[in-house]
Amino acid sequence: MKKRLSAILSLLLVFGLIFALSGCSSSSSSSTSNSKEIVFWNPFTGPDGKNMQNMIDAYNKTKPEYKVKNISLKEADMYAKIPTVVNSGKNIPDLTIVHAERIKQFVAQGMLTPYDGYLSDFPEIKAENYIKAGWDIGDLDGKRYSVPLDVHSYVMYYNKKLVEKYAPHALDDNIVTFDEIRAAGEQSMKDGIRPITLSWMKPIFLSIYNQMGGDITSDGEKPTLYTDTAVKAMEFIKSFVDDKLTNKDGEDATQLFKSGKVIFEPEGIWMQNTMNEVKNLDWGLTNFPQISTDKVVNWSSSHQFVLFNSKARDKKKTEGVVKFIDWVRQNSIYWAEAGQNPAALATLENDKYQSLPQSFLIKDPNEQKTLKIFDYKYNGYVADEIDKIGFDSIFGKIKIEDALKKSQKTIEDKIAQDSHK
Amino acid sequence: MMNTQLNEVTVSPTLVKKPVKKRHWNLSPYLYIGPHLILFLIFFLAPTIYGIYISFTNWDLVNKADFVGLANYKEILFNHESTFYDQLHTGLFNTFKFVLFTVPACVVVPLLLAAGLHAKPVGKNIFQALFYAPTLISVSAVMIIWSMLFNVTYGPITSYFHTETNWVGVQPYAWITLVIVTVWWCIGGNMVIYQAALNGISKDLYEAASIDGAGSIQKFFKITLPSMKNQLLYRIVITTVAQFNVYGQPLMLTKGGPTSTTTVLLMYIRGNAFGTGQSIAGIASAMAVILGLCIMVVAAIQFFFLRERN
Amino acid sequence: MLKKKSGSKIVAFLFLLLMAIIWIFPLLYTVFSSFKPEEDIQTKGFTFLPIHWVMVNYQEVLFHNTSAPLAKWFMNSVIIAVSQTLLVLVIVSLAAFGYTRLKFKGKNALFLFLMATMMFPSVVNLIPLYKIIDSLGWVNSYLAAIVPGAVGVFNIFLVRQFMTGIPKEFDESAKVDGASDFQIFIKIILPLIKPVLTVVALFTFTGAWNDFLWPSIVFNDVDKMPITPGLQLLQGMYAMDVGHALAAALIALLPTFLLYLFTQKYFVESLSLSSGVKG
Repeated sequence: MKKRLSAILSLLLVFGLIFALSGCSSSSSSSTSNSKEIVFWNPFTGPDGKNMQNMIDAYNKTKPEYKVKNISLKEADMYAKIPTVVNSGKNIPDLTIVHAERIKQFVAQGMLTPYDGYLSDFPEIKAENYIKAGWDIGDLDGKRYSVPLDVHSYVMYYNKKLVEKYAPHALDDNIVTFDEIRAAGEQSMKDGIRPITLSWMKPIFLSIYNQMGGDITSDGEKPTLYTDTAVKAMEFIKSFVDDKLTNKDGEDATQLFKSGKVIFEPEGIWMQNTMNEVKNLDWGLTNFPQISTDKVVNWSSSHQFVLFNSKARDKKKTEGVVKFIDWVRQNSIYWAEAGQNPAALATLENDKYQSLPQSFLIKDPNEQKTLKIFDYKYNGYVADEIDKIGFDSIFGKIKIEDALKKSQKTIEDKIAQDSHK
Repeated sequence: MMNTQLNEVTVSPTLVKKPVKKRHWNLSPYLYIGPHLILFLIFFLAPTIYGIYISFTNWDLVNKADFVGLANYKEILFNHESTFYDQLHTGLFNTFKFVLFTVPACVVVPLLLAAGLHAKPVGKNIFQALFYAPTLISVSAVMIIWSMLFNVTYGPITSYFHTETNWVGVQPYAWITLVIVTVWWCIGGNMVIYQAALNGISKDLYEAASIDGAGSIQKFFKITLPSMKNQLLYRIVITTVAQFNVYGQPLMLTKGGPTSTTTVLLMYIRGNAFGTGQSIAGIASAMAVILGLCIMVVAAIQFFFLRERN
Repeated sequence: MLKKKSGSKIVAFLFLLLMAIIWIFPLLYTVFSSFKPEEDIQTKGFTFLPIHWVMVNYQEVLFHNTSAPLAKWFMNSVIIAVSQTLLVLVIVSLAAFGYTRLKFKGKNALFLFLMATMMFPSVVNLIPLYKIIDSLGWVNSYLAAIVPGAVGVFNIFLVRQFMTGIPKEFDESAKVDGASDFQIFIKIILPLIKPVLTVVALFTFTGAWNDFLWPSIVFNDVDKMPITPGLQLLQGMYAMDVGHALAAALIALLPTFLLYLFTQKYFVESLSLSSGVKG
């Protein structure tokens, strides 16, 4: 009997230990209930995260009433957690960064709290102080649902030495055309240097599609991916593969560029830190290649500050949040150092920013006009499809018409499932 | 069953106290299986039932779920025009292929390794640790490693064999890479169980067989395998179930390509539930239920054919 | 007899050696690459050994990332993995004993039902499980990571298999001496299934240590995360930093590998459950 008792006791001990552990963490399990803290979710992991942390540390040093707690999650995890958390009504972050293209979807699902009513105390948060492309995103149904943090574009890196050798005049107008790239290729391929490499099909395709006059939706409701123009755009890209002027199936575009084997590589401004890893690479930044100088399109997206519906965030806290956003508006140089283009035009007054490569897109108002954000309500479905068929199409593994037709159908079928139309 | 207990009571003269304890007999089994059952109920059965319920709804994970009855199932099982029908069939087809390609290797290779180790050659412990080590590496790291190895620009395979094929982007190589990676990664677990099982076989059996003049191969098939039958069956079923649930390898290594030929069903399910666009949880759930039923059927068939007839 | 034994040993050795060379190649490549600077990995073409040996990958993973509390993550993983392992060992051995040695109505049907339901892909219950955890108030707490992982039925199946190999005579003779079920369980059965319990412990610990999907969902605070999902945060949004990822993977691998080395001898060594050997 004694042994039985001791056995039961040890069992209870084990369970007791486990439940005691919950005591350790339950005190801070609801971090949002710490009322003087703004829980801030963002997808900035890795090196970018350091820049964001610096910015937040600087803000917290100003001893605001509500300090900001930085929580960087992996992008996929963050977007998977948001619906579950909002649905549960608990542990909802006070402030969140989301990509611009998702905002229409969140608004349609009734997940966001508008800023209207809180902006009167912060009159500088207004259209004139932000890049138009970024500011317009948050204007839906006559309400302001988001404030932009940055506008990040998919442009083009070039190898300075190779440009001098093979395309010395291409950058005179800071717009490199595809014809100029081809011309450079005729010479460079003889030396085993590729004129251009393709890394991410989505922005490449969308920019070229738009340059040719197409868009992913005509009315904001129906997708328009299966069009003659779209086929033309895909075939245009494929021609570079067929003419052996770019990376082969399986080759990594950025690796080739970093190895000094490529003249031009379209890539995002956010890739600067990676490019800087290679010590002897003298690179520059310019617009995404264009078909003609008449219509210049740089695919862009934008990180935006949004407020998910949350009962835990009362009026005073929301004011604390907007105060932070206003501070960011005036101090975005921290974020620019990550290779980003802050949406706040006040950053242009900063000399350091003027010297950063990506600022060329903002300094010139004409350049600002080239930034196109594809914020169609069902953009997510389109993005998934292009990512899926993009490389298969240009490497000849599927017929372009069939691929686009199927993608169009897939997107339509998914939209049909949306019961809140 | 009650009868047996009564018999035990009457047979043992020392257990005079038994009639009082008889009430405990009914209760005590539940004390043993109870803790697990309670956890199982709360943390597995309830969510699974809820998950199955979701398959009868149209839900975006955020707002109220609309009950739609069998509409999702009709869509994915019978609507030939539907994208989701396509996804289910492509996904299931690829998943079955994956299971067919990997399970035999994942069951047989560790068996051979365990048998080899059982002979206790020199360096046995080093070999053992080596074969087991890959299972400890997380899936994302494994994919990074093998992506590097198969990398067209600077992977060793391309360098040593002087080819230009994109291994992960062209069939049939894409399947081959997936199988190689899966086997490399997974056989450790099975190997350990087999080793334990092998050590449980009495040496007397082997000696008796040797005296009868049996060779190593005969001993293997006539003694080793039958003695391990239970563990083998168990591992075959577990391995099959695990490979039906494959997700990480095709996602990160071949990215479901080329042209969706390695997109397994779980990728479509997750894509629908947690994709970039709005969530289509109802359809995703329905697909998951179908997948679960397939696994059950396959496992049942395996049990039926491989179990020991007592 | 001796010749035959050493003959099979040699064959085994050669076979294992061949397999080992294939197996170790990716591991060696990983280890060596973790000592290469990122620039070399990505631009210098294939090299097996590093051209430049550097520690920078490890340094950056371990020390330079101020928003990455590596020590905390490590402790979290230890707490979660150890707790889950203990919980599983207790629950599984009790349950296996119940299903094997005790009689009650519908025993086999119940067990079959449990096995059958385990066939459902866990993606089905991800969201509902989160809701349950949420309503218990366990979000962001260790319990959320520990308890749901203990519901597995396959471990019970495994232990049950080994238990059925223990002759019933052992139980009978103990009962004659007046032992209760519990005493039989503790004194006779448990010691005999130590090897399989060691396997269960090893697998459970490793599984808990390497799990990253579920912990990423239930933990909102970066400080609370276990090490495996935590290390994923070191990866930037866009760029793939191969050297760091490999260094991080190797660091995360160490504890489970040490555990394996430590427990190897417990389950691989001879255990005789068949008749003729004293229990």
